[in-house]
Amino acid sequence: MNDVHDLDPQRFYEEVHSFEFWFQAVEGYLGGTTWGRRPETVDAPMAAEDRDRLITVLCNYCVGESAALEGASGLIVVAPDRLAKVFLSTQVVDEGRHLEVFHHRLRELGVADPEAEVERRASRSLQTFRRRLLDLVASKDWEAAIFAQNVILESLEFAVFQDHARDADPVTAEILRGVVKDERRHMGFGENELGRRVAAAPHIRARIGQIKKELDHLVLESLEETVRTLGMPRDEDERLGRIYLESVARLGFGS
Amino acid sequence: MSSALDVDEGEPAAGSPAANDPKGERQRFVLDDTGFDEVPKKYRRFYRKWKGAGDRLAANEVICPVCKVVIRSSRTLLPGDRVYCMPCMSRLVVARNEATGDLEALVAY
Repeated sequence: MNDVHDLDPQRFYEEVHSFEFWFQAVEGYLGGTTWGRRPETVDAPMAAEDRDRLITVLCNYCVGESAALEGASGLIVVAPDRLAKVFLSTQVVDEGRHLEVFHHRLRELGVADPEAEVERRASRSLQTFRRRLLDLVASKDWEAAIFAQNVILESLEFAVFQDHARDADPVTAEILRGVVKDERRHMGFGENELGRRVAAAPHIRARIGQIKKELDHLVLESLEETVRTLGMPRDEDERLGRIYLESVARLGFGS
Repeated sequence: MSSALDVDEGEPAAGSPAANDPKGERQRFVLDDTGFDEVPKKYRRFYRKWKGAGDRLAANEVICPVCKVVIRSSRTLLPGDRVYCMPCMSRLVVARNEATGDLEALVAY
């Protein structure tokens, strides 16, 4: 065998959900970085208004990362098998790192107390989403919580961070590119785990459909808010929303 | 540091491009590392970034519909082949898009 696609599916899952795989993967793009950036990447001059907008956006990112950190750690005890538990443990480490690098970036931008600033600036819809996600985790509803966290939240973050990285200042862009590489795993885990669950137990579909209906507007509102704050073209929120809608459509949850 | 799994061990599993080509009739490709850094080193040659408009897929490549990374195989891909996207941990099956005639990958949950 000389091709990764020759692997047996079970061996593939054992491999990609292992801590060893995670460790070697992140080593590839985080090795040599500090706070998510290489030493040679330096800040460019930024207008006060742009800095203020960036602070607001980063505050919202912190809410999302904080929700995912608390959610992923809470879900380890609910996870149905060893592979899911080990994968979630790697996600917890990723989310903790994301929260830390965004806080560090806020301090670099002149925010003395990032916690207070996040509380003050964060979008209400995102905060409501966070509370609802943590309710689902607390109720030990594995499928609903994975849907909210690893499908909805992660695909939203993946789309927004990727787009923001294209136009951001060099330091923020580099931090975001590293985060996006982690989000690929989180988003993929969510879609595949839920896809397998729905295929094995179709009755789950109705419950997930309800959760989607409940959370959709919160996701799309916070997306719209972020796009507006970043000064992106007005139709950009529709394009980014499509990335989220594509992943839920693949799972059979059309709008 | 070595990973638990060695790509060079064992027979190709059912559904893989190699297993679907028992007579070895498909074109073979030598895969180079393109700098894709999101998976352990020994798997990097099986993936590359999509470069956007102007980029073209080769006969041994498909795009992952979940994370949009280009998946590469050492053989020509054909409908029915099973491939893996390691960056987002998805199992996929190659299919022919009837509208465009292009190969695409569908997620196999």
